[in-house]
Amino acid sequence: MENYTKYKLKSNDELKSLLADKDNLFIIACNKCFKEFETIDEPDCDEFEKIVTECGKTITGKVKVDFLCNKPQTERKLQDMIPEGTENIFVISCGLGIQTIADLAGKPVYAASNSLNYRGHHGMALTKKSCDACAQCYLNITGGVCPIVDCSKSLVNGQCGGSKDGKCEVDCNKDCAWEKIYKRLEKQGRLEEFLNQPVQIRDFSKVNVKYVNDYVKAVRGDRLEGYYGGVHPSERKEFTEHLALERFPDPEVVVIPLSMHAGAPANPVVQVGDTVKVGQKIGEAAAFISSPIHSSVSGTVIAIEPHGHATRGECLSVVIKSDGKNTLHESVQPHKDLDSLTPEEIVEIVREAGIVGMGGAGFPTSVKLKPPKPIDTILLNGCECEPLLTADHRVLLEFADDVIYGLKAIIKTVGAEKGLIVIEDNKQDAIELMQAKTADISNIDVVVAKTKYPQGAEKMLIKRVMNRKVPSGGLPADVGCVVSNISTTKAISDAIQKGMPLIERVVTVTGERLKKPGNYIVKIGTNTKDLIDYCGGIIGDDVTIKAGGPMMGFLLNDVNVPIMKGSNGIIAVETDHTVELPCIKCGRCVDVCPMDLSPLYFAKYADQENWQGMKEMNVMDCVECRCCEYICSSKIPLVTKIKAGKNAVRGMK
Amino acid sequence: MLITELKPRETIASLVEGKKVFFINCQGCKEVHFPEKEIKELQKELAADGNVTGVITTDYICNPENMKLRLERHMSEIEAADVVLVFSCGVGVQTIADYLEDKKVCAGCDTYPLPGFQGVTPLEYNCDQCGECYLNLTGGICPITACSKSLVNGQCGGSKDGMCEVDGNMECGWERIYRRLEQLGRLDVLKCPTQVRNFATDDEVSK
Amino acid sequence: MKITEAFERGEFVVTAEVGPPKGCHIEHVLEEAKTYLSGITAVNVTDNQSSVMRLGSLATCKALKDEGLTPIYQLTCRDRNRIALQSDLLSAAMLGIENLLLLTGDHTKMGDHPQAKPVFDLDSVSLIHTVKQLESGVDLGGNELVGEPPKFAKGAVVSPCSDSIDAQLAKMERKVAAGCEYFQTQAVFEPEKFIKFMEKAKQFGKPVQVGIIIPKSVGMVKFMNNNVAGVHVPDDMIEELRADKEKTKAGITGVEIAARIIKECRPYCQGVHIMALGWESKVPDLLKQAGL
Repeated sequence: MENYTKYKLKSNDELKSLLADKDNLFIIACNKCFKEFETIDEPDCDEFEKIVTECGKTITGKVKVDFLCNKPQTERKLQDMIPEGTENIFVISCGLGIQTIADLAGKPVYAASNSLNYRGHHGMALTKKSCDACAQCYLNITGGVCPIVDCSKSLVNGQCGGSKDGKCEVDCNKDCAWEKIYKRLEKQGRLEEFLNQPVQIRDFSKVNVKYVNDYVKAVRGDRLEGYYGGVHPSERKEFTEHLALERFPDPEVVVIPLSMHAGAPANPVVQVGDTVKVGQKIGEAAAFISSPIHSSVSGTVIAIEPHGHATRGECLSVVIKSDGKNTLHESVQPHKDLDSLTPEEIVEIVREAGIVGMGGAGFPTSVKLKPPKPIDTILLNGCECEPLLTADHRVLLEFADDVIYGLKAIIKTVGAEKGLIVIEDNKQDAIELMQAKTADISNIDVVVAKTKYPQGAEKMLIKRVMNRKVPSGGLPADVGCVVSNISTTKAISDAIQKGMPLIERVVTVTGERLKKPGNYIVKIGTNTKDLIDYCGGIIGDDVTIKAGGPMMGFLLNDVNVPIMKGSNGIIAVETDHTVELPCIKCGRCVDVCPMDLSPLYFAKYADQENWQGMKEMNVMDCVECRCCEYICSSKIPLVTKIKAGKNAVRGMK
Repeated sequence: MLITELKPRETIASLVEGKKVFFINCQGCKEVHFPEKEIKELQKELAADGNVTGVITTDYICNPENMKLRLERHMSEIEAADVVLVFSCGVGVQTIADYLEDKKVCAGCDTYPLPGFQGVTPLEYNCDQCGECYLNLTGGICPITACSKSLVNGQCGGSKDGMCEVDGNMECGWERIYRRLEQLGRLDVLKCPTQVRNFATDDEVSK
Repeated sequence: MKITEAFERGEFVVTAEVGPPKGCHIEHVLEEAKTYLSGITAVNVTDNQSSVMRLGSLATCKALKDEGLTPIYQLTCRDRNRIALQSDLLSAAMLGIENLLLLTGDHTKMGDHPQAKPVFDLDSVSLIHTVKQLESGVDLGGNELVGEPPKFAKGAVVSPCSDSIDAQLAKMERKVAAGCEYFQTQAVFEPEKFIKFMEKAKQFGKPVQVGIIIPKSVGMVKFMNNNVAGVHVPDDMIEELRADKEKTKAGITGVEIAARIIKECRPYCQGVHIMALGWESKVPDLLKQAGL
C-alpha cells in the first residue's frame, strides 16, 4: 500500500531559525491521513518538541488531533484548548490543517512542516495510479494510461524522444508513459485510431478554480445542513414510490412472534387448538417495557413454537391457520371521539392495541406517550431516509387524515404545544398533500427537510428541526420532544377510531433484483417468502435479501420468517462481493458520523479487543446508522465491530 | 476524492457508436460529486439501441482488490462488449484499464481537482502541495492558491478595489495576507528575503 | 533561404549546429561558424540545450544571419507557454529567420536550473500545428494576424535508433500530419538501424537528415550510451576509439568514424545534420572525407 502522508517536518535548520525569535509555543499536530492506520501515535510531534526544547523555548502545551482539516470537528476540539500565556502556535500538518488553525486561532500560527508534493491525485484506495484532474480526460485516446501524470512532461501528442531503454529521461526508474501507451494501443489494435487523432492542445482554462470552489462550498453546505455528518446514498425509490398500496392476499397460515418489540417478549394467552378472531389478543405484555400481540386472522391456533425471526434468529411464535373468513373479534370496537378521551385513556388504548415504534426499533409507544419530562413538540417522522423504502411515503399519501388524527391524539396525550410533520424534499406530493390538509390546523405544521441520511434517526431529526441536541445517553424527552413514526401514528388512529389493534402494516417489497416491486398492506405474521413469491420472485442468483432498508436492514439468510410490526420493507439487491482491507485513515467515517464519533478507532480497537478504548471513544453513543460502513473505502464491517464493542462495554458494567 | 463531470454527449456518442458497451459507474466519492442523474439518463438512452451488454454501479473502483472481485462476476458481459465505458474519476478509469488490459476502456467523465486533498473533507481552503510551505510568511493564508498568479513576494498590483484582476469575485490574496499580518502585528515578516519557488519538490516524495 | 528549397532541388543538405554561449559575447561563435560552417546549407542554433541556460537562440540566429549564414531557429516548449512561443515565432519572421526546428525540449530537471517550473504548455506536435496556424494568418487563439502571415520551413526531430522504433514512427507520422516538412535525426552510430528506419520512414515523403556526432573519446561515447536517449555506440566503435589514444584525441578517429557513417547512410536519406559539440573546426574535414 502506498503511503500518501501529506506532510513532513521542515528541516532542523529551518525550524531553528523559525523558532529563534519566538517563545511560549503551543503545538498542534495532525495525526496524518492516507496511510495505513498502523499506529495511533505519529512521531512528528515529539520530534518537533525535541527541537523546541533544544532551542530552550517554552512549550505551553501540545495536542495531537485527527484530521485537522475537518473544520467543524477541529473547531470543537480546540475550544478552550490553547492555554494562557501561549504566544505562538506551531502546527504540524499539511497546508490545509495549518490554514484551518490559522483561521481559527487568532494568534500567530506557524507551519512546522511542509506539504509533500505528489504528482496528481490518488484515488480513495492508496494505489500508485493517479489523476491530475486536468478536466479534459485523455484516457480515451491513450488506452487508459494517463499521459498527464505518467509522462514527466505531460505530453499529449506522443513521446518526447528522451526515453532510454523505455525509461523516462527525468526518472530512470519510471517507464516512459508514451511507450506504455503505444504498447497498450498496439495490443488492442488501436494504433490507427491514435494516428488519426487531431493534434491535441491542452486547455488550461478548463480547471476553473472558482467553479470548483463554489461547488465545494455547496457540497459542504449539504453535508453540514441541519446536523453534522450523514450521507446521500442513491435513493432508488422510483421502483415503488408511485405504486399505490395493494392489499396482500390473506395468508393461509400466519406465524406471529411473541417478540416484535423492545423489552420483554409477550406471554401467550391462547393454546393450541383455540379458535381466534381478527384483533383478538393472543399474547399479553410481560412487563412495563413490553407489548401485547394480536391475531391478524381468524382461525385456529395450530402451534406455539419457536420459529425463525428476522432479527433475533429464533423466537417463540403463535402459528394460526386462517379460516379465510377474517371474522372480527368482538373487542374490536371504535372508541369515544378524541375530544372525549383523556390522555390516560389514550395511553391505555395504545398499549392494549400493541402499538410499538414501526420504524424498526419497536419501542412500546404507550411508554413514549408518558414521558418523564414536559414535552413541547411532537415530531412526526416522515423522512423515510432509508433508500428504496416507500412504505411511510404511501401511508402519508393514502392515509393522510388518519396520520393527522394520530398526531392530534399524541399532542393531546403528552400535552404538547405543537406537532410538526417532517417530510424530506424527495416526497413533494406528500408535502403538498400534508400542507393542504394541515393548513387550517393551528398547532400542526409541515417541515420540509433536505434529504440526507440518517435524518429519520430521532437525534438527527431533533437537531435538524429543533436545533436541540439530545445529550449522550439521553432520550428525546430530555429536550422536550417526542418523535413518532408515520405508520405508528396511523396505527394510533386505527386503534382509537376503529378499535383495531396493530395486526397489519405497510411493507415496501422492492430492489433491483425483485421482479415486481410494490407497496403492500400485509398482515403481521405473513411469511416473507410468500411476499417475495407474490412479487414475482427474485432475478438471478447472488442476491442479498434484507428486512428493512439497505442501510440499517437485517440480512435475511432464510426468508422463511414472518412480517412483523417493524417490517417496513423487504429488499432484494445485488450482493456486493468485497473483502475487508486495511484502514487507510481517509477520514471519511469521521466526516459522515452524525454522532461526532471516530469510527476508525472502533475498528482498530475492536481488532485489538481494547474495549476500554472503545468505551472512552464513546462507542455507546453509536446509533448504528451505518454511514461509516457505507462510506468506508476499505470495506471494513464497522457496525459489526461496533456492536461487538457495545456488547463488551455492556458486560463491563 | 475528485469532482467528475460528464463528457459532452457527442464525445460519448462517438465512443460508443455502433459498438457493444459495458458500463461501470463508480459512486465511491458520490458524497463529493457524481453526476448520477445525468449518467442514468444517458445510459438509458444508449441502452435503447440494445447495444449495452451490462451495467454495474459500484464504489471505489480505484481499490483494485475489491474492484476485481466485483468485475469477476460480470466477465462474460464485459467480454461481449467492444468498449468498457467507465464513469469515474481518472484514477478509476486507469485501474479498470489496467485490469482489462486487452479491452478498450474509455472514460465517460472529465475530472476536476478539488481544493484540499481527497478523502478528508472538501474544503474552502486550498493547498497546492507545493512542498515548501509559505504559510509562515503570510500569516497562514496560502499565497500559492489564494493568489491567481501564485505570487510569493507580494501582490502584483493588478487588484482593483481589493479584488483580483483575474476574477473580480475573488479577493486579492495578498491584500488578505497583508490584513492578516497587520492584525497579528507581524508585518515585519514582509521584509523577508526574496522568495524563489522550487518546482522540483516532488523529488522529496520519491526519496 | 528556406532549407526546404534545397531539399526540393534534390540537394544532399548539410546542416550543423552551434550552441550559444553562457554569456552575452557571441564573437567566438560567429567566428567559428564563419570559418568552418559557411559552406553548408544552414546552421542550427540550439535553444537552451539540455535545459542549460544560455544566450537566446533567436538572437544568435539573427547574428548568424547578419554574417551571411542561414540559421535554423530551434524552439522548445520547455520554457515558454503558447503566448511566448507564438510571439517569438513572429519575432523570428520579422527578423527574416525562415527555418525552424520545433522540439518539446528536455525537462528542466535535466539542466542547471532543476528548480525551474517546466512549462510544456504545448509540445512538439502542437507547436508544429501552431506554426502552421500562424502561417494561415490566424493565431492559436483564433485571432487574425495583421498583414501578411509568416512563412517558415518547419522541421522536427526523430530518433531512428531508439529502442521503440514503431512508437517513433507513429509520432513522426503525427508530426507530418501536423505540418512538419523535414526531419533531423538524433545522432546515428548504427547505420543498419538507420537504414531500417528509413525504409519505414520514407512512406511519409519528407526529407530526413541523418544526425551525426563526431565521437571525441571513449568516455564521451560511454556517457552517451548511458545517458542519451536513442543513442547507442556499438562496441567495435568504442574499441576503434580506444585503439590509438593520440589519434582519437586529435579527432582523426572520430572524423573517420563519422565520415564512414555518413557514407553508409547517404543513399537512404536526404541530408546530414552534424552536431559538432565544440568541434566545429573538424566539420570541413569531415565533409571532405564523407565526399560532400
